[in-house]
Amino acid sequence: MSAEIAVMALDCGDLPLGGGLLSLLRPALNDLEGGGILAVLSRAASVREDLPSWCRAERHEYLGVEAIPGDIDRHMIARGVFSVSKQAPPDEGKLKPSEGEQTASSVLDISPLPLTADPSTGFAPRGARVEPGGPAYPFTLNQREHVAPPEVARLYDQAVSAQWDATRDIPWEKAKTLPFPLASALAQVMTFLAENELSALYVPARFIPRIHPAYAEVAMFLATQLADEARHIDVFLKRARLCGVGLGISSVTTSRSLLSLMQTEDFTEAAFLLSVLGEGTFLDLLSFIERFAPDEATAELVRRAKNDESRHVHFGLAHVRYGLTNDPSLYGRLEAAVRRRAAALHGVGGVPAPLQDALTILAAGSTEPKAVARGHEAYRELLETMHTSRVRRLGHAGFTLEQAETISDLHTPNFM
Amino acid sequence: MSNDETILLGAVAYDPKVLTIWEGIREHFQEQGVPMDFALFSNYERQVEELLKGHIDIAWNTPLAHVHVRQRTRGESLSLGMRDTDRDFHAKVVVRRDAGIKSLKDLAGKTLAVGSADSTQARILPLYFIAKEGVDVSQTKLLAFDTDLGKHGDTGTSEIDVLKALHEGRADAGTVGDLIWVNEQSAGHVDSGKVEVLWTTPGFDHCMFDAHPSLAPEKTEAFKRALFAMKWENPQQRRLLELEGLREWLPPRETGYQSLQEALQQQGRE
Repeated sequence: MSAEIAVMALDCGDLPLGGGLLSLLRPALNDLEGGGILAVLSRAASVREDLPSWCRAERHEYLGVEAIPGDIDRHMIARGVFSVSKQAPPDEGKLKPSEGEQTASSVLDISPLPLTADPSTGFAPRGARVEPGGPAYPFTLNQREHVAPPEVARLYDQAVSAQWDATRDIPWEKAKTLPFPLASALAQVMTFLAENELSALYVPARFIPRIHPAYAEVAMFLATQLADEARHIDVFLKRARLCGVGLGISSVTTSRSLLSLMQTEDFTEAAFLLSVLGEGTFLDLLSFIERFAPDEATAELVRRAKNDESRHVHFGLAHVRYGLTNDPSLYGRLEAAVRRRAAALHGVGGVPAPLQDALTILAAGSTEPKAVARGHEAYRELLETMHTSRVRRLGHAGFTLEQAETISDLHTPNFM
Repeated sequence: MSNDETILLGAVAYDPKVLTIWEGIREHFQEQGVPMDFALFSNYERQVEELLKGHIDIAWNTPLAHVHVRQRTRGESLSLGMRDTDRDFHAKVVVRRDAGIKSLKDLAGKTLAVGSADSTQARILPLYFIAKEGVDVSQTKLLAFDTDLGKHGDTGTSEIDVLKALHEGRADAGTVGDLIWVNEQSAGHVDSGKVEVLWTTPGFDHCMFDAHPSLAPEKTEAFKRALFAMKWENPQQRRLLELEGLREWLPPRETGYQSLQEALQQQGRE
């Protein structure tokens, strides 16, 4: 096979070298293997002078010229070793025409994610023919099993079609003016949600520059996650400000908890803590708020946020499950990460008191003692539900019941 | 002559990038275990004098400086290496399409733009080769761009001036090096409706590393070993090679300087 030399002929008419000929010549040479031969047919006399010089400048071998019938010069060029060579056909098929939509999933079908990625291909899109000798980029997530679960494209497609508008898609006119204790409770809950969602915006953002662009779908999914969080922050704070009592309290418990999340340096550990445990727990919290929402605007914005969060939890679970399948030692690392975080949060107390109280009053719907008793009961059930769901979710991720119970118990009292 | 192990190399600072190039190459030599330092000169005449006095070990020389070193050392200087691009250099005679010049003979009575007086590719050799083709250059009106004298045409400024004069109609024909000519075309800077190539000179060789005749053989060998270890495939080294205008360093050869020696004799510039 190595002795096989391709020969191609290229009709360049009377184009001068600097008048368009190069635009035919360079791509044709790039389609040849090193040493492959190109016949350039030309009627321009200047090309006799210019082509050998251009070959010298570009390190192709100019083999000579002969006149052939029709007043045509046939120049022969052997492709040099320094230009971008024809590579084995990329591991990539052709995208099929499709009625109505082209999904990221269908792209992934024909352009599979590589097992490992080379940092020196930089931002070259997966499948591009990369000129050798480029600088190495500081991407550290260069292995598929650490970054790109197979579900990523499907989740990205879902995320794209599920985007909504924080300005117009909420029936803001239906936000009620609430009596003081309820207004204050709702403002507190919304403040807490916004603070946590701010961390959910910043934490994944830290990992995007580390992801090798060969796994761009992961960065693209995270981009939708960031847009989701931005929207959530937006609607939660709007609802808080509609209460007319100012924003609520930001607790040190929350602050410490979120800092420990932000200081997690491993992508899989961060996905586990943020998406599986944190956002997973938030699903139950959001369901609770939706159930006791004082008006339709609040119910709608919480419902929409919950739909988005549910996607983030799916991605987190897919990410962790994929990592666990390929590397069983990950169980220990994830549990250790939860323990480290619990140790860092040791002594911060339980669920932040302003949030506990606000959730109780919200569920009570008033400060009437009997109602408050019901609210407190609902809040207690919420904590139970959160634990049960976490254990179930950890089971889905592949943890044993015992591991799941331990991890759930160690989870931050801040929920996220 | 420096007595320690460090090889002292001279280069002419014709552009700020020269500092980047030699800092990078010095670092590469260090990695290869070859201590090397460099001194920058503002012109090749000074660099040649300092080499001959033994103040530097090696000079990175233009063809004109190389030929001077060969003559002054009676051929005893040591040639160590050259760029791939230094081999088979050519010069071009480029003409305006509307000047009615179909062959070199038609240059008589026309304005011929030429580069700096000390540029091998844009002045000395094209005029020599044109004359060798039987054309009396004194019958043309020379429009000379004597910019950057002492830099031996390294900056390329005078060649760009020649092409500009042609485009603007201030000259009918002009002489430039082949690399500038094809690179300017590749970059889309040449209006092929106005300007085209007429003739290509025979080939000649360009720059050379010249060492003092008394340079210790171990230093000579160490220099060549480190130099030839530079590879295009290595991203850091590729950056330096790109700046210096080559893909690979090649061994020296003396056959490509004969035309320049003759040209200098004829032009009384020895």
